[in-house]
Amino acid sequence: KLHFITAGRLFDDLMKEEQPESKTTYWDTIFRLVLQGQIEKACRLLSLHSARQTDDFQTLINLLKRMPQLSNVYKGSSVAEFDMKWRHWRDECQRNYEEQKFSINPNLETVVRILCGEDAVFSEVKDCCDPWYHMLISKALYQDPTVKACDLHYYIQGCQDAYRSTTRLGELDSILLSALESDVYQVIKDSRTVFSNGWFVAHLTDLLHHCGQLDSHRLQFGSDLQREFLLLEYAGSLMSHHSLWIVGVSYLDHCAEFGRKYLELYLDHIPLDSEKKANKILKICEDRNMTEQAKSICKVMGMRCIRNKRLGAALTWFLRSKDVGFATVLAEKYLLEYSESGEFTNLDLIDYLGPSMLLSNRLTFLGKYREFHKLYSEGEYHAAGDLLLALLQARLAPKQFWITLLIDALPLLEKTELIFSSQQTRELMKCLEELTTEYKLGKKRDGLGFTEARKDQLDVLKLALSRNLPKAILQEGTVNLL
Amino acid sequence: MFVTKQIESEHKDLIHDVSFDFYGKRMASCSSDQSVKVWDLGEDGEWKCTATWKTHSGSVFRVTWAHPEFGQVLATCSFDRQAAVWEESFGDVGREGVKSNWIKKSILVDSRTAVTDVKFAPKHLGLQLAICCSDGMVRIYECPDVMNISQWSLQHDIQTKFKCSCLSWNSSRMHPPMIAVGSDDNNPSGGGKCQVFEYNDSTRKWTKVETIVAVTDPVHDVAFAPNLGRSYHLLAIASKELKIISLTPLGRDSVIGNQSVVSRFEMKQVASFTDHESPVWRVSWNVTGTVLSSSGDDGCVRLWKANYLGRWKGISILKGDASQTRQDRNFSANPSQNPAGAVRYIQQAPVHNASHLVRH
Repeated sequence: KLHFITAGRLFDDLMKEEQPESKTTYWDTIFRLVLQGQIEKACRLLSLHSARQTDDFQTLINLLKRMPQLSNVYKGSSVAEFDMKWRHWRDECQRNYEEQKFSINPNLETVVRILCGEDAVFSEVKDCCDPWYHMLISKALYQDPTVKACDLHYYIQGCQDAYRSTTRLGELDSILLSALESDVYQVIKDSRTVFSNGWFVAHLTDLLHHCGQLDSHRLQFGSDLQREFLLLEYAGSLMSHHSLWIVGVSYLDHCAEFGRKYLELYLDHIPLDSEKKANKILKICEDRNMTEQAKSICKVMGMRCIRNKRLGAALTWFLRSKDVGFATVLAEKYLLEYSESGEFTNLDLIDYLGPSMLLSNRLTFLGKYREFHKLYSEGEYHAAGDLLLALLQARLAPKQFWITLLIDALPLLEKTELIFSSQQTRELMKCLEELTTEYKLGKKRDGLGFTEARKDQLDVLKLALSRNLPKAILQEGTVNLL
Repeated sequence: MFVTKQIESEHKDLIHDVSFDFYGKRMASCSSDQSVKVWDLGEDGEWKCTATWKTHSGSVFRVTWAHPEFGQVLATCSFDRQAAVWEESFGDVGREGVKSNWIKKSILVDSRTAVTDVKFAPKHLGLQLAICCSDGMVRIYECPDVMNISQWSLQHDIQTKFKCSCLSWNSSRMHPPMIAVGSDDNNPSGGGKCQVFEYNDSTRKWTKVETIVAVTDPVHDVAFAPNLGRSYHLLAIASKELKIISLTPLGRDSVIGNQSVVSRFEMKQVASFTDHESPVWRVSWNVTGTVLSSSGDDGCVRLWKANYLGRWKGISILKGDASQTRQDRNFSANPSQNPAGAVRYIQQAPVHNASHLVRH
C-alpha cells in the first residue's frame, strides 16, 4: 500500500465518478486492489457496478468478503488455524470458478482466478503488479500466505522471469534479492556501493548492530567497527555540507572509537564564515571539552579581527579562549594607541572587562588605567590619585608607560585642592627620578632619550611635584596640630 | 559524481602548483611566469582572482598556505634560490571585487640552488616552515613572534645527500616532529628516493630515521596523511607508481650508533598502484586521512580509499581535459570537500592554463 500507490490513487479517482465502470481504469484498478490484498476497496468498487446485483457479482463480493485476513491471527488463532481457514476459502473459490459461474464476465473471472492463486493469471495481469517483487508478494498472498521467508526463493525466479523481457535486473533488485535471502552482509556491501548517499547503509548497519543481528565473529574486527566505519563515512559526507555539518556532529558523537578524533579534525576545518557560525562551533567544542579546538577557533577569529583592525572584537575572542599571550599583545596595542592618539577606542569593552581583566598583567593594567580615567572624569580626584600611585607602585605598568602615567598626575597636582599627600608626592618623585635616571642611562647606551616636548613636560611635572610637597606637608601638619 | 570546473587562470606560463587554504575557500596558484595568483571562492560558487603579483625572479615552484591561526600567510619558493613569506593586508574590507595586497614579509636567501618545495609545519609546532633544495639541503626556519612575521631565523639545516624535490611534515601531535623528503634524482643506483627525518628533543637535532628503499624511481611528491589517533603513520609517495607506506614507530630504546641509525620504524608497503600507467605527480589527502587523491601523466585524478580492514583500492577516476596536450598534474584536495565512497561531491579540477605544456 505504501510503495505502490497507483492502485490507491486510481481508486480515489474512480470513487469520485458517477459511473466508475465506464472508465477504462475500472477493472484495472480492481485487479490492482485485489493483487495488493486491498479487499475492502475492491468490494466497494465492485458494489458500484451497475450489474452488481447479478449472481456472479454477488458471489464474487461474497468470496472477497470472506477472505481470511491474517490480522485475525493475532487475536488468538494460530498460524495453522489460519492456514486451514484459508485453504477452505481457497477451495471454495476454486469450486465457484469451476462451476463456471463467472464465465460471462471475463474480468470477474480473472479476479476469481487470482483468488484461486492460479499461476497463469499472474502473467496476464503482470502490468498491474510491476515490478517483480510486487508480483512476488501478490503471488505469495494467494498461493501460500503463510509462506516462510526462507521459502520465498521458490517464487522469486518465476516472478523475475515474467518481467525478464521487459526490464533488466537492476542493482536495487540485487540488493532486494540479498535481503530476501537474509544475506545481511551482502545487503550492506551492495548498499554501500549502489546508493550515492551513505544514509541508508549507515542507519541500517546501526540498527542491525543494536539488535544484535550483526554476527561479530563473521567480521574480524567486530560488528561495532563495521558500523562505526559506515557511520564515520556518512558523517564525513555531511561535514562538508554548509549547513548539515551539525547533523554530522551528532553522528560522530555516536562513534565510540574514532568519533572524537574525527570530530576534532572536522571541527577544525569548518570554515568560519561568520561570528555566529564560529560561536556555534565553539559551543560544540565547549560541550565536549575540546579545549584545543576551541582555542584554535578563537585564535583564528581573533587574528581575523586584528587584521581588520577591530581590536575590540579581537580582544573578546582572546578573552573567551583565555589566551594570555594574545590578550597581552592586544592590551599593549591599546596602550600604544592611547599614547599615540591620547584616546581610547572601544571604551565599552575595557570598561566592562570585569574579572577577565586578570587574564594578563597588561590587561589588568589597561583596565585599571581606564578606571583611573573614569574616576578623574567623574571628579573623584582622590580616588584617581590613589589609583594612579598604586599602579606605579605595583609595577603593573610597563616602563614605557610610566611617562604617560606621571604626566597624567599633572592635572591632579595642579588642582587647588590637595590630592596627593606628602607621602604620595614623595613616591611620585621617586618614580620620576627612577624614570629619568633610567632614560639618562639609556641615552648613553643607545642614544634614545626624551624628546624636547617630553623633557618640558617632565620639567613641569617636577615643578608641580616640588610645589605639591610643601603644600601637602603644610596641610598635614596643620591637621596634626589641630 | 564529480563536476569539473575549468578556470581561466591567465597565467602566462606553466602552472607548477596549486594550493588550497585550510578551509578550502581560497586558492593560490604559482607559475613559471614568476607570479602568484590568489583566488577566492565567492558566494556564487565561482572562483575569482583577488590578487596577482610577481613574487620571484624565476619560476615559482610551490606555494603553500599557513594555518589561519597565523593570519593570511603564504609562502613561495622558486628557481631563483629564494623562498618568500607573504602576508595579506586588507585595503577596504567588504567591498566587492576589491583586490587585496600581499606584502613580502621575509625572504629566505640561504639556499645556493633552486628551492624545490616549501611547507609550513603543523600549527602545534608554532610558525615554522621547511624548504628543500636541489643541492640536498633541507632548512627549517622559525618565526618566534606571530604578530610580526618579518623575523624568521634559520633553526636547522639537514643535509640529505640527494637532490630534493618535495617534502611533507607529519601533522601528528602525539609524535615528535617528522618530515619526509623525496628526490627526483634520475640515477637509479642512488638508493631509496625517500627519506624520513625526525626531530630529537634531547639532542635538538633532526636525524634521519628511515630511508624508504622500496622507492627507487624519482619521487615527485610526498604527503603524510593526517594522523587521527592511529598508532602508525601513512605516507603517500608519488613516483613512477603510487605507493602508500605505513610507518609504525617501534620502541624508543634504539641507540643511534656511530655508523648507522638503527631503524626505529616498521615500514610496510600498504599499497602500490600503477593505474595511472604513467608517472604520478601529486598526491593529496583529505581532512581525515581516509581518502587519497593522486594525479598523473595520464591526465586523470584518481581517488583511493581503504575499507575498514585497511585494504586500499581505487574508488574514483576524474578525467581532466580530454585533450592530450593539457595534462594536469597539479592539484590539492580541497579540504572542505570530504569525499567518501560513492558520495556525491564537487571536486574542482586543477586550474587549466591555456598554454599549459606537457613536461618531460
